[in-house]
Parts: sequence; structure tokens; C-alpha cells
Amino acid sequence: MNATSIRDGEAAPPLIQLDAVAKSFGSNLVLDGVDFELRPGEVHALCGENGAGKSTCLDLLYGLHQPSDGKILCNGKEQRIENPSHAQSLGISCVFQELSLAGALSVAENIYAGRAPARMGVVDWPELRRRAEALLAEFGLEIDVSMPVDSLPISSRQIVEIAKALSLNSRVLLLDEPTSALAPDEVDALFDVLRGLTRKGIGIVYVSHHMAEIFRISDRVTVLRDGRHISTLPATQTSQEQVVAEMIGGAHPGDVSGSRTVNGDKVVAVTGLSHPGEFEDISFSINAGEIVGMAGLMGARRSEIVRSIVGLVQGATGNVELHDQPVKFTSIRQAMRAGIGFVPEERKTEGLFLEQSLSDNLIAASLAEHTSMGLMRNGSIRAASRAAIDAFSVKASGLAEEVGALSGGNQQKIMLAKWLKRVPDLLIVEEPTKGVDVGAKFQIHTELQRRAAEGMAILVVSSDFPELVSLCSRILVVHEGRLMGDIPAEQASESVLLQMAAGTTLRSAASATPDSGATL
Amino acid sequence: MTMTVQSDYSEKRPPLLRILQAFVDIRELMLIVLIAAIIIVMSNLNPYFFSFSNFRAVAVGMAPTAIIVIGMAILLASGGFDLSVGSVMALSSTVVAMLLLTGMPIPLAVILGLILGGVVGVVNGVLVTGLGINPLIATLGTMSIARGIALVLTEGFSVSSLPVSFAWIGKADIGGFPVIVLLTILLVIAFDLAVRHTRFFRQVYFIGANEKAAMLSGIHVTRVRIILYALTGVLAALAGVLLASRLMSGTPTAGNGIELQVLAAAVIGGASLRGGEGTILGAFLGVVFVALINNTMTMQAVSIYWQMIVIGGVLVSAVALDMLIRSKRG
Repeated sequence: MNATSIRDGEAAPPLIQLDAVAKSFGSNLVLDGVDFELRPGEVHALCGENGAGKSTCLDLLYGLHQPSDGKILCNGKEQRIENPSHAQSLGISCVFQELSLAGALSVAENIYAGRAPARMGVVDWPELRRRAEALLAEFGLEIDVSMPVDSLPISSRQIVEIAKALSLNSRVLLLDEPTSALAPDEVDALFDVLRGLTRKGIGIVYVSHHMAEIFRISDRVTVLRDGRHISTLPATQTSQEQVVAEMIGGAHPGDVSGSRTVNGDKVVAVTGLSHPGEFEDISFSINAGEIVGMAGLMGARRSEIVRSIVGLVQGATGNVELHDQPVKFTSIRQAMRAGIGFVPEERKTEGLFLEQSLSDNLIAASLAEHTSMGLMRNGSIRAASRAAIDAFSVKASGLAEEVGALSGGNQQKIMLAKWLKRVPDLLIVEEPTKGVDVGAKFQIHTELQRRAAEGMAILVVSSDFPELVSLCSRILVVHEGRLMGDIPAEQASESVLLQMAAGTTLRSAASATPDSGATL
Repeated sequence: MTMTVQSDYSEKRPPLLRILQAFVDIRELMLIVLIAAIIIVMSNLNPYFFSFSNFRAVAVGMAPTAIIVIGMAILLASGGFDLSVGSVMALSSTVVAMLLLTGMPIPLAVILGLILGGVVGVVNGVLVTGLGINPLIATLGTMSIARGIALVLTEGFSVSSLPVSFAWIGKADIGGFPVIVLLTILLVIAFDLAVRHTRFFRQVYFIGANEKAAMLSGIHVTRVRIILYALTGVLAALAGVLLASRLMSGTPTAGNGIELQVLAAAVIGGASLRGGEGTILGAFLGVVFVALINNTMTMQAVSIYWQMIVIGGVLVSAVALDMLIRSKRG
């Protein structure tokens, strides 16, 4: 696509350019002589594992940091970008992965945050609403723009976030994982909008982990690895396999496939678990040594189901048996004592103590184990932390390093290690590899399989269907609080899971197993 | 967070709960009803309560608090906080009084007093934004320093024998209504509208809701914060000048503890220390509510010590009710 606009663009200076840019935080060199340019009318994908320097590039272009060395050029002229509002005045806008919306304020106000149309400083509300509605209409999103953002589902919030960047009428648009919460048709709508923008000569930097999306939308692809520029090629002259190979360098993790034959004792059995208005009649069981997946789309209530099991959500009816003993937990402490581990989805808000050290984070769920007579035993903490770091090959400068300073993949490993360390009988993991790079994903999968082989029962809640297919022996599919099926991995494929999770094929897919709900 | 992902705005609720919710959502509504209730009950209990002179006294007495609460409510909405308001009030009242004693014209002395408040506010703002000191600690420091300066300048004594014409601001009436009260109401209305409808003040809610997101949206967070602290300082200084004019003396101990009354009133009026919420009208009604409760208890000859207990109880109940409704909403 856009072949003509690329050719036109070659005559004009790049909209924005990084010229041998280096960036270090303290002694940590995160970008090392990176060259990058964005031409008018192109979508330029920026690929790399977590920690490769993609986000830092965006931060530099949006004025959140300034380069330690090298220079940034706007329209061919050297430019120091002081801060985000300066970047905006230079015609650069950015959509961040973490949503930057004020939940209590209206959709319209969020889109025009601090820039609402105003006469003599007084906001023109009808005009604000009109403009916001027009912007959202491009995405086919028809909502009441005077509603607070909080009341929208996540996918609509992401669209609001994108609309907010578009409202600036920028010439450069930086997108960091813009589709992470979008449904396929919403992605299509976004891509249509982006193509419309490129036709107007706007340049787009596109950061994503989704290779398929990158190759659908991009004109050129730049790969970064360990803060260095590896390659920049037209999308037509490279391939997904080549980009992935360049991202991970020499190492080739390949597909994970562990032993799928499991014959341990039953560890957990859930029968008829219901919670009015949330989910209904959920029944399944997991044996020792088994990795079971739970698939579903946004709003499937997977989180509510597993959180009811571990005692974080109260009010569910039905039976949960652990080692054939009925249990009912009213707190996560009770569940932990009974041998359950729970790794939550949101590592920044629910899983980690970002300002605390790596070792403090690792022992947070097993303080008693490292305490004698009320005092913390530093030796045992250090030993345990080292063991965990080795098992996952966590990249960190030391045990005292703040977890917040680690890359997403390493943070995820720490969070998992914290719970694995307790050696629970049943480990429930939400989104174990969300926003994690290929290498870390491989290591996390390998470690989960090793633990399963040692007899742990593991329930993996994930929206990453290929992950479930390759990692699990059985997959539970949930749609709007109902169990649609319990299918062996051999019969599961991404498309089967997606159809069941979307509730489109009720019994046809589920009939792959004799009885969809209660098995075992 | 994952649990509230589903939109819940269309969810059906029992009508009674919905009404209660709307009631709590619009804190102003609840306060107006409560204030009306106090007035109705008290009018029947005490014949002196429902009189112009009583209301006038209550209004004049609460004017400084009401003026300061404007600044505090905006600061709270931005996620900020200012403990130094009482000290700034004292400092400006003594400095203006001392300037007047040197023979300085009244308007100039008043303006200098207000500027002084603004300067303390800017210091607060720079400490909080530039140096990143927690607002509680930063303003605790300036609170002590400003009060200390007022005491050092006056050696602890009140500054009196002020020019007679200075009394106009604090004591004059227009059509039977005290100027000080009219000015307060004017400011409350002006700032309430400004906060609801001007682009500058709308930024406050973004900053309060999510400072990082506001910065990423291109809002000058630091600049806005410093301006808000300066505004609060100026309003506190204004309250000090009005008080000095009413008492005809600059008092270094004026406004002692007023910061907590202001804070309590703002929170009762719907502000939150988390930031991102609250209105000027709500905070003002909070001040009126607290003032009426105090007035009621004074009229019923309840000891001043009991009044503290009641106000504390009201504060905690208001916040507890809010939390309860929030958690119900899930």
C-alpha cells in the first residue's frame, strides 16, 4: 500500500528523524546510536523485544526525555523537544499503551484534554461535543460523549485515547500498541482511519508486538535489539519470520511443546460455581501436573471466576474442592495457606511493589519462610532470590534493583517467581505473558511446564489464544460468564477458541467433547 | 481494575438506591437539603435562630473560611493540599496592619498583602512541583514559617490603632448586607462558574485524576499547580485582610487551626484528598453546613468542646457514606 506516497515522501525531508541517538539512564545505556526516520505518508513500524528501546524512542520523540547523544531532526532541522506540550506544538502526538484518561470526566473533555474549544477561556460545550462525536464517528463508535470515560468498556476507552491524539491534527502520530484492547472489527476501523491519515501525508510510527498487524499496516519496518538499530526494510522485502529472527538475534526459542499426558491426582474440582449477574454454573477440575487454560474475550468474567475461587471475590455459590476437601475461602490468605497461588493480571497495580527491590518483591508472598523470631533472615532471602533469578534468567543489575526499573518481561518473571517460590499445589496465573517479549515468553512457558512436570496443577487465564493452544493440555472456554466448552488442546485451534469465546458456535464446537460443562 | 471493565452505566438498580445514589453523587443537593433541615428544625426550637441578625452574624463569621475554601477546593481537585492558609491569613493581616501604620494608602497596603499571600503560595507550589516535596510536608513547613514571621514581626502582639477608613472593607453594609459577605458570595459564584466552564480550570481535574496522563496530554502540570497554590495564597491573604479590617487589628495568631476547618468543610462538600473531584459550590455549602451546626449548638448552649466532637463526627460520616456508596457501586 501507499507505494506512491512513499515515493513522494522521498523528495521531502523526513517528518522526523533520529540521527545516531543515544540515551542512557545512569549507567544503563538503553539506546546506542539509533537511526530512524519517518517520511510523510508512511506507516513505519518499530519492532523489538521489550527493553530493545522502542518505548525510549517514542519517549524521545514526544519530549519525555532528551537524547544523551546524537540529535533529533524535525523536517530536516535539528530540534530539541522539551516536553509533551512542545512536541504537540511541533505537530507530534502520541497514543500510549497505558491509557492516559481522566475517568471521572466526560469522553468529550478527555479527547480535548486541556484544549477544549473556548471563547475567551470559557469552554464551548456544544462545539466540544460536536467535534468529539465527529472524531469518534470515524471509528464507527457512537456513544454519548458526555458520559464519563469510566463507564466505557476498555476497547472504547482505547478508541477515545486514539481519538484524543487525532484531535491534535498532528503531522506525526506515535502509536504504542494501539490495538491491545481492540476487537478485530475495531482494528479494521482503526487501520482505515490510519490509511486515511497517511493519504493526507501524515507519518505514523507504529509500535506493536502483533506481527500480523505490523505487516498489514506498515510500509517500512525497523528492528531494534538491545538499544541498537538492526535493520530498516520496506515491509514487502522482509517477512514476519525474518523480523522475529532479527528481534531475538541468535536465539531461536521456537514453539513450546511439553508433555501433554497427565495422570496426576485431582487437585481442584469446581462444580456449579455461580455468582448472580457475573457467571453461572462453572464446573471443571484440574489434576496434578496439568496445565489447563481458560480462554475468553473481554467481559467473559474469567477474572471474576478465578478470583471467586481464591477468595478475592465473595458471594459465589457452588462447590470448590481442593484435594477432595470442600473449601470456601473468604480471603486470599486462606487460599494461600491451603496451597493456592494467584498471579494477577495487572503487574503494575496488583502484582508488584514497583519501588521495592527485586528481592523484596520475590519474598513478599512468603515472608514467614524468611523470618525467625520476628527478624528477617537476609541470608536466606538472598539465596532464595538468586535461585529465582537464575530459574528465570532475569536481567537485572542486582538483587537491590527496583522492580519498577526492570523491563516488562523481567517484571512478569519476578511476579511469577514470587508465587512459584511458595510451591503451591494449584497455581492460577492471569495473562502470564501480557506485553512480554518473545524471549521472556518462552522462558515463562518453559518454567510453567517444568513446574507442571513436577506435579503442580496450573490454571492459565489468557487472551492470547495461540499461547493457550501451545501451552495447555485442556482449554476451558468462557463466554459471558458461561462455560462454553472444555476441549483438549489437540482439538483446539485459535479459530475454534475464538468462535467459542465469541459465543458464535455454541454446541458445534463444544460437541467435540461429549459433555461441555462438567467433565471429570 | 479488571472487574469494573464492563460498562455499568446501563445497569438496572432499585429506584430507591438510584435516588440515594443521585443524592450522594450530587453532594450539593444533599447539603442543601441538610442545611434546610437544620434551619427548619432550629427555627422551631429557638426563636432567635431564624432572624436576620443571627444569619448575618453566622455569615460574617464564616466569610474568611468560605473565601479560603475556594482555593482549597481547587487545590484538592488538582490533587494538591495546603496547610499554610491559616498562617498566611495571619501574616497578611499583620503585614497589612503594619504597612497601614506607616501611613501607606489603604489600597496599596491591601494589594501588597495579597501579593505576599501569592508569594507564599508560589513558594508552596515550587516546593511541591519543582522539588517534589509532598504537599503535606511542604505546606506544614511554610505554615510554621509564615506563622513564625507574623509572630516575629509583631513580637506576638496585635497591631491595632489602624486608620478608621480601613474598617470600611470589613464592617460596611450595602443595603443591609455586609460587604464582606457580598464579596464572599461573589467570589464563590465567580470561581464556581470558572471551575466548571473555563479551559484553565478544567485542566485541574485532569491533573487531579491522573497527573502523568495530564502531562502526556500536553497540559503544563507544573505551571498550573504553581498558579493554584498562588491563588490559594492570595485568597488566604484576602481572608486575613478582611479579618484585620473587621477587627481593626492585625493579629499574628489569627486563623489558627482554620486550615483543618477549611479542609473538613471542603471534604464534607464533596472534595477528596485523592483529587479529581469536588466543586466550589459544594465546598462552600460544606462551610455553611458546618457554620450552621456550630451556630445551632452555640444557641442551644452546647459546650464548645462538644462542637469539636460533632464536627469530627460529621466529617467522618460524610466520607464514610461516600465510600460505602462507591463500594456498593463496585
